[in-house]
Amino acid sequence: MTNIMKDMKKLLLEMTVIIFVASLIGIILNHKMLLKVCSGRFDLSKITSPGVQRMEKIPMPVGLLQAKELFERKEAVFVDARDASFFSRGHLKGAVLMPLGESELNLARFMVKVPSSATLVIYCNGYDCRDSMTLGAKLMEKGYRKVYVYEGGYPEWRDAGLPIEREAP
Amino acid sequence: MERRRSPYRERSAMMRNRKRYFRILVRIVLGLVFIYASIHKIRDPVAFAGAVAAYNILPYGLNFLVAAILPWVELISGLLLVIGYRVKAAASIVIAMNLFFIVALSSTIVRGLDIDCGCFKQGGGKTPAWEVIIRDVIFLVTAIFLVLNKQKPGKRLS
Repeated sequence: MTNIMKDMKKLLLEMTVIIFVASLIGIILNHKMLLKVCSGRFDLSKITSPGVQRMEKIPMPVGLLQAKELFERKEAVFVDARDASFFSRGHLKGAVLMPLGESELNLARFMVKVPSSATLVIYCNGYDCRDSMTLGAKLMEKGYRKVYVYEGGYPEWRDAGLPIEREAP
Repeated sequence: MERRRSPYRERSAMMRNRKRYFRILVRIVLGLVFIYASIHKIRDPVAFAGAVAAYNILPYGLNFLVAAILPWVELISGLLLVIGYRVKAAASIVIAMNLFFIVALSSTIVRGLDIDCGCFKQGGGKTPAWEVIIRDVIFLVTAIFLVLNKQKPGKRLS
């Protein structure tokens, strides 16, 4: 038993030394980048590496609580990525219709109405629906920086009893 | 007078040798994979920070700290596996890293994030997350094999 404990201690010590040495080398060699990040002087827009571009062009997923908070504070424009038929049967109150399939046609009109500094929350038909993420990425490519995707979508919002609108039949 | 070795003993010695060589091969291949994975990240830490940030797991600044450190942990573990020094410790680190990668990748599937794993070349083509998970599970099993089949004292081959 003591032998096993001894072996484990030795193993943990060796692992710690390896990680410590690696951390030391990594921090020393990348100290300029880390210092810039710490001081907030890291301007991502000036960096053209694909990783950063990708990081900037992925909409941030938000949950029901965050979406509700943005809705109540009236800080965001809600965008419905579903088809018009789904939209007319019910949508988040005040949401703008922009079906992913027709987004190219509607984007120009949308961009005239909504400035690129606006916060956008995009949703579709819940967790299985990927249209909101695709539309979000498209809007980010067009210059919108604060784009969120509400993954629970219309079904979760409706089931939570939050404000919705239906178009008259 | 020369003592004849029994065929059973000869066969078991041969099997032992085969196992030993197999372990060396596994160790070197796993080491080379991790060295290869680390080189691209070391060359472009900012791009790797972007790949880490795309997972949406860590706060902004920590993505860069991970991008600065993780490739070096991969490189040193890989080198130790290739040269056969402190194999158990290096393989244990590989196990820990792969467990973390598998959890992070699974979370991207659950959250519906369609991102590049950032495992090897940054900014390359996207590999589906489940494919990367299978690859990581293979690395995990390989590293567990190395930890469990430790070299016997006096055997210098592995």
